[in-house]
Amino acid sequence: MSGLRIQNLSRQLGNRLLLDGLELTVAPGECLALLGPSGCGKTTTLRLVAGLDQPSSGRILLGGEDITGQPAGQRQVAMVFQSYALYPHLSVADNLALGLRVRGVPAQEREQRIATVLELLQLGNLRSRRPAQLSGGQRQRVALARALLRQPRVMLLDEPMSNLDAQLREELRPELRRLLCGAEPPVLYVTHDQQEALGLADRIAVLKDGRLQQLGLPRQLYEDPANLFVASFLGRPAINLLPAEGGRLLGLRPEHLRPTAAEGLPARLQRREWWGHQQLLLLDTPRGELRLLLPSGSEPGDSFQLDWPRACELWFEARSGERLRGFGSENTRAL
Amino acid sequence: MSPGLLEGLLMLPALLLLALVFLWPLGAMAWLSGQASSVLTGLTALPNGGANWLRLLGDGRFWQDAGQTLRFALVSVVLELLLGLGLALLLQRPGRGRAWLRTLTLLPWALPTTVMALGWRWIYNDPFGPLNALLGLLGIGPYGFLSNPATSWLFTVLADVWKTTPFVALLLLAGLQSIPLELRESLELEGAGRWQRLRHLTLPLLLPYLSLALLFRLTQALGVFDLVQVLTGGGPAGSTESLALYAYLNAMRFLDFGYSATVVMGTFVLLLLAVSLALLLWRRSQPHRRPA
Repeated sequence: MSGLRIQNLSRQLGNRLLLDGLELTVAPGECLALLGPSGCGKTTTLRLVAGLDQPSSGRILLGGEDITGQPAGQRQVAMVFQSYALYPHLSVADNLALGLRVRGVPAQEREQRIATVLELLQLGNLRSRRPAQLSGGQRQRVALARALLRQPRVMLLDEPMSNLDAQLREELRPELRRLLCGAEPPVLYVTHDQQEALGLADRIAVLKDGRLQQLGLPRQLYEDPANLFVASFLGRPAINLLPAEGGRLLGLRPEHLRPTAAEGLPARLQRREWWGHQQLLLLDTPRGELRLLLPSGSEPGDSFQLDWPRACELWFEARSGERLRGFGSENTRAL
Repeated sequence: MSPGLLEGLLMLPALLLLALVFLWPLGAMAWLSGQASSVLTGLTALPNGGANWLRLLGDGRFWQDAGQTLRFALVSVVLELLLGLGLALLLQRPGRGRAWLRTLTLLPWALPTTVMALGWRWIYNDPFGPLNALLGLLGIGPYGFLSNPATSWLFTVLADVWKTTPFVALLLLAGLQSIPLELRESLELEGAGRWQRLRHLTLPLLLPYLSLALLFRLTQALGVFDLVQVLTGGGPAGSTESLALYAYLNAMRFLDFGYSATVVMGTFVLLLLAVSLALLLWRRSQPHRRPA
């Protein structure tokens, strides 16, 4: 089979397990985001695939070929580093040319390919600038151009937008999708930013402490999380967790709560954050503090009753964080 | 008080100190180089016009020493830069015992020159030194390392290289460590081997450090004195005599302080030329640096 396949991949450093038995496949043309907090093993995974680090056990297959033992330079992978890793002593054009020169691409073809990719990324007028003379967004585009020139069998991106400001990140997201996703090489995209993962990736793998927590479509992860960690890592503002009987937790997304005229959970408004299109209400309830997300126009008053659709309830076992499926509506009143 | 004035005032002590230890002796030397001041004048300074300088221009020994000093400096500095670079690359590589290796490497640099020069004099000793013992094992020699006027300068160079390569290596190691690891990894992913990475990435980024090492070492080597004094005393037949040694001999052996000052000033002019050349090189390498 083609694409990227990661089999039972582990990386141990001293007595710390950075990555623990990771199983993943990324199909050709697919963009898979590795999402998780720092130290979760996402960058380790990327470096193992690139060949910059060696696994303690497990295999990496690319297009059906085992590349686990191959030196990095032979794997034909491209990587965009978090710091972009542009060569500071070379101009933009030379930054792009160096890799081609190293691989012995003839000068004429080199020039042609560079011109094409410069045009694709609208970098033509910057070709003789040095990295120090570029803005953060421009540097990121140059790094991307360099990766595209590699004509890789797999594209690796290590938090490529974490050094950019929020507005630029939002602007670049569709561009990144246009350039990377859907093309032949599978894309492995590391990020700790859920917005980026949700908005960019076809599928998301959530990692924590070197272990895969859940792998699925963005919507699946959000609506049907496998465990407490995935449920609370995804979603801003974070999910409400209400302690319930029997060592269970009831998870309720802030946007699923709504004020009701009927009897429900009594709530008192404590604080309000106005976000323009929405407002976040912090509520005092007998079950603890809850977050409620409402359209910015609504005025529920200072104290009211809360209700929610039973189908939106997410139940967890408090101690293990395991999801309790098929446990639900009839027990809600046990709160 | 205006900021400019305050700045000036704050710098004044440092400037005064600098003037005291640098400008004053230099001025005194410049003045003395225009005087006859030797045992023949009863060690009093008598202006003799440009006689000292005219003598310097026609002094074959001065020019021979100038050539020898330049040869010593160039050969030793080039060797030190090459070996220092190799050593720095070696010390940069992760691995067991790297800390030990670093310490060991620094040892020659930490030794006082006089002590290490005495050591080398014994190593070179003809016929009893360890080097000749080694040659004896091979069935050749003994060789007069320090007694052959054609080759003895080479062995002063060797001793100097042994002592100062660690300094160059340390400087270049600092430079190597300033190069972000991702740059190397990125080039590695592009398929570049070790030599290509060295040529296209490491050396260009190391250029400012190489130039700095060149500058430091060139000035030091052009002023070499203690090593040569202890190792050969300038011999045999003046073949290892340096300009600094010649100035010293004029003052301390011939008691001709006026002419000694002229030799020092002549050396100063030559040094200035060499250093400006090195500085020029260094400036050229600056645009390659990433602004902080």
